[in-house]
Amino acid sequence: MRSIASHWRAGISLLAACAALSASLGAAERPRYGGTLRVELRAAAVSLDPREWRAGSEEAASGAKLATLLFDRLVALDNYGHFLPQLAAEWSHDASFHRWQFTLRAEVKFSDGAPLTAADVAAALAPLLPAARQVSASGNAVVFQSAAPMPDLLEELASGRYFIYRAPSAGVLLGTGPFVLAAAPPSGAVPARSEAHLTFRANAEAWSGRPFVDAVEVTLGVPPLRQLYDLQLSRADLIELSPDLVRRAAQAGLRTWASAPVTLYALRFDDALPAVQDARLREALALSLDRATMAGVLLQKQAEPAAALLPAWLSGYAFLFTVETNVDRAREMRAALPATLATAGEPLRLRVDAPGDLARLLGDRIAVNARQALLIVQVVNRMGARAAAAAAPPSREPAPGMRLVSWRFRSLSPRAELDAFAAALDLAEPAESAGSPAAAGADPAQLHAREQRILAERRVLPLVLLPEFAGVGARVRDWLPAPWGDWHLAGVWLDGADSPAPAKSSGEKP
Amino acid sequence: MNFRIKLFLVFLLTVLASVTLVAWGVTRYTRKAFEELDTQRTEALVAQFHKEFAQRAEDVAHRVENITNAEVTIKTALELAQPNADPSAYVHDANGAAQEQNLDYLEFVNSDGTLISSAQYPARVGYKNDWVTAAKDWRSSPAFLKREESPDGVALSLTAVRTLPVGEKIFYVIGGRRLDQNFLASLVLPSGMRALLYRNLEQGFVPSALTDASGEVAQSEQLAPLIQQMQKQPRPMVETVNWSADAAAAETFHAMPLLGRNNELLGVLLVGSPRRELVLLLRRIQSIAAGVGAGALLIGLLLTWWVSARITRPVVELAEGARAVAAGHWDTRMETGAGGEIGQLAAAFNDMTGTLAAQRERLVQAERVAAWRELARRLAHELRNPLFPLQITLENLQRARTLPPEQFHEIFQESTATLKAELSNLNVIVGRFSDFSKMPAPQLRRVNVNDAVRNAVRLFEAQFSAVGKPAITPDLRLDEALPEIDADPDLLHRALQNLVLNALDAMPAGGTLTLRTSARDGGVLLEVSDSGQGLTPEECSRLFTPYYTSKQHGTGLGLAIVQSVVSDHGGTISVASDPGSGTTFRIELPLRPPKTPAAALTGGSAPPSGLPA
Repeated sequence: MRSIASHWRAGISLLAACAALSASLGAAERPRYGGTLRVELRAAAVSLDPREWRAGSEEAASGAKLATLLFDRLVALDNYGHFLPQLAAEWSHDASFHRWQFTLRAEVKFSDGAPLTAADVAAALAPLLPAARQVSASGNAVVFQSAAPMPDLLEELASGRYFIYRAPSAGVLLGTGPFVLAAAPPSGAVPARSEAHLTFRANAEAWSGRPFVDAVEVTLGVPPLRQLYDLQLSRADLIELSPDLVRRAAQAGLRTWASAPVTLYALRFDDALPAVQDARLREALALSLDRATMAGVLLQKQAEPAAALLPAWLSGYAFLFTVETNVDRAREMRAALPATLATAGEPLRLRVDAPGDLARLLGDRIAVNARQALLIVQVVNRMGARAAAAAAPPSREPAPGMRLVSWRFRSLSPRAELDAFAAALDLAEPAESAGSPAAAGADPAQLHAREQRILAERRVLPLVLLPEFAGVGARVRDWLPAPWGDWHLAGVWLDGADSPAPAKSSGEKP
Repeated sequence: MNFRIKLFLVFLLTVLASVTLVAWGVTRYTRKAFEELDTQRTEALVAQFHKEFAQRAEDVAHRVENITNAEVTIKTALELAQPNADPSAYVHDANGAAQEQNLDYLEFVNSDGTLISSAQYPARVGYKNDWVTAAKDWRSSPAFLKREESPDGVALSLTAVRTLPVGEKIFYVIGGRRLDQNFLASLVLPSGMRALLYRNLEQGFVPSALTDASGEVAQSEQLAPLIQQMQKQPRPMVETVNWSADAAAAETFHAMPLLGRNNELLGVLLVGSPRRELVLLLRRIQSIAAGVGAGALLIGLLLTWWVSARITRPVVELAEGARAVAAGHWDTRMETGAGGEIGQLAAAFNDMTGTLAAQRERLVQAERVAAWRELARRLAHELRNPLFPLQITLENLQRARTLPPEQFHEIFQESTATLKAELSNLNVIVGRFSDFSKMPAPQLRRVNVNDAVRNAVRLFEAQFSAVGKPAITPDLRLDEALPEIDADPDLLHRALQNLVLNALDAMPAGGTLTLRTSARDGGVLLEVSDSGQGLTPEECSRLFTPYYTSKQHGTGLGLAIVQSVVSDHGGTISVASDPGSGTTFRIELPLRPPKTPAAALTGGSAPPSGLPA
């Protein structure tokens, strides 16, 4: 199992190597300062406050993309799989991983000019960490302590929502990042929630040096097709690409980028509904699902079938899980079920909680697959269900037996992601599970066993894993995003910008 | 029921029958005309539907043809015909083509029937469409109705299939447009009519499957029987649906089946024609008929009143005239200006009353003459009896003057005695007549008739059993519960005395005198009967005539006085007699005599009837 444990590092290294190749190609030309990077996002609104981000949500992913412009983390993971110091200059831990100490970088200032202190870091991280962990300031250092070992603390702090910020007043956050929000108050404070158009201006005083572009203009709420057109017409430099437009963008000769599979689509059964409490029904439905067609045809090979909850690049052991599609067997199991179950008169209701047309398409496909096993599934989308619930008394709206959910992986810690996933979907683990989830630790073998137990229950069925796609404009240079989805816009420069990079100074990029 | 009411009823029935007949005829004609018009409009609408349906089918086929012949489609078909072709590259192609050709449904199907791309149901990609490969030739085949599935449910579509041969392989393009309320909205409907479409895509009746041009139909369950009947036997049907208790809200539906490629029932077109206009028109006709009937009734009432009054007034006047004549008004005359039969009748009436009056006058004059003659005869008879002895006596005195004084004195004494006696008789006779002419007015007080009867009989008790005469037996049958009446006891006693005396005279050979009293409604009845020889009818008719008598001795005033007393008391007297079986006098007296001026104010009495005026 130790070999499995190194899989994620290997995967990340492989992805990073590809990124490095493209970086070397991009770096052939000397970077230039200036210009405005125009970014378009699907999300109509984002929150820049890490405390408000809901684990696994697309909104959190969009917020994190923009938060990297304003905030820094203590450490970072580079595209080669190495941890790099950020706000923490160095770190150490005890032998049992119960105590970690991070020494802060000196002379780091927030955007309002206030120096970064250990107390600021502890105050920022305290509400983000699990309750079992304590963080405290100790001189110029920050100390993490926990009764349980924290072997993957670096992975956690290098990803997800663990940004360092300061909240001088309610609704205002200050960061140490390479950009500041142009619409921010004179003090440099950042409103926690912004909509429509956001302009981030380069922070010349950033400890990491001034970014190449003068500003980043972010337009929110742009539909996918409109984003594609804007990219084609050079009205945008960087867009989010929906999976169904990736092939079209490539055919149009646009530069596209795909992350590692970072979004999981899964089917979650409702434990409380009698109709789906029969394990045979769940098994019959699982056997009817044709994940290969979902990923290979409906998603035009942009996705991959999911047999495990965590993607291979994150867990390293996903290849150990397999799924089977056997319609004949599914029909046999259906025949053994009560005839009135999942019929046209009383169909199983599948609520699509995941956002987007893709989720709806997957929901419809599940219904089509289930019908092959003589199980009638009625798809209701989340908005439709809400509208129906608002229009009718709650008792008249039948509860959905299944939910189609999506989970956006943000953390580089597989244990943390599995914990969050299980908690978000209320996946109570079997009683024979050894110890608490926290006790399982970050050991890949233990994680595999834990995930295996969860999947054996058939209360959640992984469907497909989908990467994140982006369309990159022709003038964007040094586009070196992280495989797990961080865009790293501070290093991007624009072809045809006003001035070449000046001679290195104290404020320039390291 | 008098003539006027009869005439009114006849007139009323005639008017009502006429109005009812006309209203029924107009209603029947209106209903028939309306239904003919409704049928024509429905047929026109159905024809329009078929025309629109055919045009849309042609349009769908044309659009599918366009897609099939498009360069991109040919390229797709060629690429898919290559070995190791990647169908996933074309998953979304149908969507764009459908939008370009404005089709609701579009699917690309590979040669083996595998669904390559679906605009309406992308999730079905990869599954087989066997029905499309089962048909040998889709070229030039018209569009047809099809049950179309999508994630939103099932729908009814007008679908066309076109093929693109690539070598030995065939690429299928299946396109269609939804047949829904938008299609219905495209139909130009006559005012008031509407077209409904039932999509027969599930078992039984599904209310939400019924739509009109504006969407889902309210109270659609009312049409469930018609739809269910159509599902059993797809054929044109007509049914009227009552949406509410108001008949004006009813609607007649002409239902036509819409069949699929295999003659399965996929839809039902319902053409609704409201019956509001007909019902309102019929109601208006009924209202007008009722109004006309009421008006005719009123006019008939007034006309009948006027006509009947005009017709019956002479008749009523004749009847009143007849009653007046009967009451003694012989001078009653009728107007003869009406002319016609009524005028002739009035003239005849006037002639009749004139003749009657003349005859009565003559009769009165005759009776008056007869009465005077009878009075003269009676006076002559009464006066002759004492005058003859007076004449004899005076002649004896003249002859006795020559006799010796002793004889003369004796004769003189006898003669003067005779003269005195006869003069006394004359005085009595004159007194009787004088008394009769001076009957006093009744002095009324409460009188017990039974007591009056007993008093009158008591006077004659000596004569009932007089020696040497046949005995007469009095028989009193008196009602002791007899009420007292207002009467003059002296006059009543005098009348009873005359009746008893008259009865005694009628029974010279003895017999039974019966006096009977009894109560009558509002009065008393007194009967005096004898068992004598009785009277002839002629005697009975003249019995109460003054101075008439059937006896050798008598003035003929006794019964006249009785009649006068009874009349003065407001009563009546009658006689009943048969020869050989006695005579009975019946007197009816009221409890209180009517107050007549003669009885109340004057001290004397009017002359007894029958006396010459």
